Amino acid sequence: MTKAILEIESLSAGYGRFDVIHEINLRIDDGEAVALLGPNGAGKTTVLRSIMGLVKERTGVITIDGTDVVRMPPHKVAKGYAALVPEGRRLFLNQSVEDNLRLGAMRHRRDQRKVEELLNSVFELFPIVESYRSREASMLSGGEQQMVAIGRMMMNDPKLILLDEPSLGLAPLAIADMARALIKLREDGRSILLVEQRVDIALEVCNRIYVLSDGKIIDEKRTGDIGADGRALIDHYLG
Amino acid sequence: MPQVLLTGLASGAIYGIIALAYSSVYYVTRVINFATGQLLMSSIMVTAVLSMHRTSVWLAIIIGITTSTIGGVVVYFIAVRPVLRFSRFSFAWLVSTLGAGIILSSFAALFWGSGSLPFPILLNGHDVRVIAGAQLTWQQIMTVFVAIFLLVAFEIFRKRTLFGKLGMAISYDPEIASSIGANVTSYAILAFALGGLLVGVAGILVGPISFADAYMGDSYGIFGFVALMIGGIDKPAGAMGGGFILGILQSFAVTYINSQASDWFPFIVVVVVLLIAPNGIFMSGPSIKKRIKRLSQRKDLAKL
Amino acid sequence: MSSLISNGRTPISYKMIGTLFAVLMYVAVTLALAHTSNYDQGLLLVGVSFSILALSLDLVAGMLGLFSLGHAGLFAIGAYTTAILMTNYHWSVFEVLPVVLAAGGVIGVFIGALTLRVGGLYFAITTYVFTLIVTVVISDSSITGGYEGLIAPNFPNFPSAFSSLGTSLVWGVSGALLFTVVVIWSIRSSALYPVLLATRDAELFAASAGVKTARTRVLMFSLSAALAGLAGWTFCFLGFITPDQFNGTATINILVMVILGGINTRLGPIIGAFFISLFPVLVSWNPLWQEIFFGAVLLFVIAFFPEGFVGIIGRLVRLARGRYSAVTSFSDNVKGEPVIKAVVPTFHSQSVTTSEFALEARNISFSYLPGVKVLTDIDFVVRTATIHGLIGPNGSGKSTLVDLLAGQLAPTEGTITLNGRRVEALRSSERPKLGLMRTFQTATMVREMSTEDNVTVGLFHKYRHLLLRSLVWPLLPSGRRDSRQMKREAREALLSVGLGPQWPSVKVADIPHGVEQLTQLAAACVGTPSVLILDEPLAGLSASEVSEVAIILRTLRVSGVTVVVVEHQTRFIFDVCDEVTVLAGGQLVKSGHANDVRMDVQVREVYLGQ
Repeated sequence: MTKAILEIESLSAGYGRFDVIHEINLRIDDGEAVALLGPNGAGKTTVLRSIMGLVKERTGVITIDGTDVVRMPPHKVAKGYAALVPEGRRLFLNQSVEDNLRLGAMRHRRDQRKVEELLNSVFELFPIVESYRSREASMLSGGEQQMVAIGRMMMNDPKLILLDEPSLGLAPLAIADMARALIKLREDGRSILLVEQRVDIALEVCNRIYVLSDGKIIDEKRTGDIGADGRALIDHYLG
Repeated sequence: MPQVLLTGLASGAIYGIIALAYSSVYYVTRVINFATGQLLMSSIMVTAVLSMHRTSVWLAIIIGITTSTIGGVVVYFIAVRPVLRFSRFSFAWLVSTLGAGIILSSFAALFWGSGSLPFPILLNGHDVRVIAGAQLTWQQIMTVFVAIFLLVAFEIFRKRTLFGKLGMAISYDPEIASSIGANVTSYAILAFALGGLLVGVAGILVGPISFADAYMGDSYGIFGFVALMIGGIDKPAGAMGGGFILGILQSFAVTYINSQASDWFPFIVVVVVLLIAPNGIFMSGPSIKKRIKRLSQRKDLAKL
Repeated sequence: MSSLISNGRTPISYKMIGTLFAVLMYVAVTLALAHTSNYDQGLLLVGVSFSILALSLDLVAGMLGLFSLGHAGLFAIGAYTTAILMTNYHWSVFEVLPVVLAAGGVIGVFIGALTLRVGGLYFAITTYVFTLIVTVVISDSSITGGYEGLIAPNFPNFPSAFSSLGTSLVWGVSGALLFTVVVIWSIRSSALYPVLLATRDAELFAASAGVKTARTRVLMFSLSAALAGLAGWTFCFLGFITPDQFNGTATINILVMVILGGINTRLGPIIGAFFISLFPVLVSWNPLWQEIFFGAVLLFVIAFFPEGFVGIIGRLVRLARGRYSAVTSFSDNVKGEPVIKAVVPTFHSQSVTTSEFALEARNISFSYLPGVKVLTDIDFVVRTATIHGLIGPNGSGKSTLVDLLAGQLAPTEGTITLNGRRVEALRSSERPKLGLMRTFQTATMVREMSTEDNVTVGLFHKYRHLLLRSLVWPLLPSGRRDSRQMKREAREALLSVGLGPQWPSVKVADIPHGVEQLTQLAAACVGTPSVLILDEPLAGLSASEVSEVAIILRTLRVSGVTVVVVEHQTRFIFDVCDEVTVLAGGQLVKSGHANDVRMDVQVREVYLGQ
């Protein structure tokens, strides 16, 4: 019985008066890569933000590696439970690439050796980032920034990796690089929750998919079980 | 001329430190603490009162600065935190920090009367030094050096330490900063404490040459704020620059117009500055370019 | 508004009788005040004077979000002008009045124009500096009496026939307050009010509905300044005027009066003004304890009751009535169930387009910064009375193209023709009257207003002289008629997009995202446009709501409206649209009939990721 790294039960959350997501149940096993698909406005980003603690109004159970994080503020969730690559990258554009990465390792700041180790592993995965390390983040292209954003997340060395539409706004070549990096993370045994609009990327990277629509989970499938019909099925859901 | 310049530099140093205090609070929390002037007053008053009661001068100074530092944190908890939580429009903290300032100055007047108190002389105020044909007291020289030291220390902290960079991150994008592990509330408390500390130091520097009474914070608070507007609210270093500019301009006005001009001339300057460079003189370079491009494209923002 | 008697021409309603009664009461109170002691008169008149000033500030701070700290300066100018003209130049009080109003108005135009350059905090600072300069000038000039100030001029007494009316000054000041209240409350009840709030909170939305936001702000500020001058006129008769009555503290006090009393409310500024001006007099403790108490009130009222005294009263009233929120009762129905019922939409077509192409954009190029082209040589041509889709991956330039078509941006190169007219040089606020309306991707409307009020903003370009008429709106039969008409049209528009009778009066802050999207659609349709541009209208809508939108668009097409839809949901696009244009990387990939585009290999590659 594989250990569950993420278990979500009856999660409802929203901003203000009305909930955006209703009674979500979700599970990710240790080492699994799971995709959350769905049309715009379905609530996918809200699920990620709820896990990260960025949504104030939430009820339900969110357990990461056995610990209930649903009441935790974001900076506590970031202490090893989960790390987020947000939609639109949201780097600290007025600082250098290396500063962005080191800030991502905030929780390890007392262990300088670990920080250097993590930094090297990021540079291994994204050699081009190493060559840009002293450049100001605003000078990078969208694709390069996305790599730095993923790197910043990796510096946290979290139990659970959250990615919000990493392909958004990227040129096709950059998307391919990014997908390759995610596959490598999966092969390294990391646990990943990927929100994507691009069905093809999700199917390439992940073992399992959930489909979210109107704030509710309407389907769950193993990637391997989806054939040519499966793709059509998903297109149908995505309207 | 050099005399006017240097005298202005010395008084500008004080304004610069006060502006730096405003700026460091705004930088982290996007709030202007309108009780800053009164916090300055509190450090002076506490120092003055303690030294009147025979406490050693340096101990009195330390306690005075500690008072204003703690005062800054108190203002955060009483006037800013509850407002940020409940308020539905963006200027509520203007009223609440103002209220805090009124309370502070009234309490001071209640405890210590509304007259002036003698302030201990740190350096023998009558020592006069001649530099480049101008005469300055040691007090004034020290003030300028302290201001520059504080600025350098502040910028080194902000740009070169991890903690300072975290502050930059919080200022830039507080939500994502919290999601990488920054406790934004703790940092806000720190910012307010720092603001209090800075004006505490400014108070000690200005005490000997100014008067120490319960209401002196009002005008220093305003001038410090004007310095902030001139220098620019986005860059803390610009705030200090704004202070020096203000001090020098005020000095010129007093010398060449009349002694009352120090009251109003700087304000004319700030209006002119705001009309040309609404974000202050030391606006970040790329944002000026962006603004110009944006303006030439967006006709909606033009005149009637 | 129920009708008591209706003879077909002028219905007399409860409201009118109530208003008449209130006016009579007001006159009675004034009469009483005119006979009390000088001391009492002095107290209350100060309160009245500041009430006028606070009301004038609330006009721009509350309704337009312009937090001016310059009103103390305007107040001072009003007071000093009156005193100098009357005492030194022997003008009569009635000659001075229009001068004071005009001077205020002119200065207001100047300051209002400033708001175009600096906003928010900087505007507050700049206006604060204005007050400071005024204070300094009056402190230093001899004609203003320097620091000693001036003595109040004499307010003329009533002729002996009317002497039973009592102190004439009371009537004068009271009349000024009545005038101010009439003007400001008229604006509140007028069709201009939603427009002002939209200018404050949702400027893009307002501009795209035809509101010239800059002009509106300047004109309103001008009116506000004139009223502040009027307040000064009343104030200068109350004793003497000195520079330190108008100094920094006084400046902030006015803003505090507004905020404390209740910003953007009818009575708030008046309550706040009386509280602050009378507080030191009525509560005669040790003045320092008074100050402390005052500071504490500021602190706590703002922290816990950001709506001020009026908010506290309102909350108490609601508690007493036992009604917490009208919305909770239906919110349960709303969760998870189809909110929208299928209604046969009724659109009255007004579009008379003779050209074959309703919208033609040719050779469009656009860059924000030189060298970085966001759009390169695009041709975008829309046939009249069709539904035309615009799709492409993120970053393809779709939103930029929409901004160009609607006027938020001007193209670097190329032309845009709307119903045969060249429009690329026109601002977005000029396009609605040519028949173009648009919606926005991130629906921003005024959260504190109801959906129907928000929708009436979309009618702005159809009604004449709203700004001018708003000053006396309820008194004008055309005003009342237009209000009724606009509400009716707004409700019809909401019904047309499927929002039934329970929705028009609900605040936008309380509605789910899908309903907000539809409200925006209603606001764009209410003015019966001939060309409608919808920017991602389906974001956040449920499947059933999406089908409703499809029905709505098809009905629009039948009525002759040309619709351009930008969307991600490709199934919807290919279902509903007649023609589709595909953009990628700022360039045109394909444009033509929907089916042809769907089958095109290049399109599939670029967009569908296959």
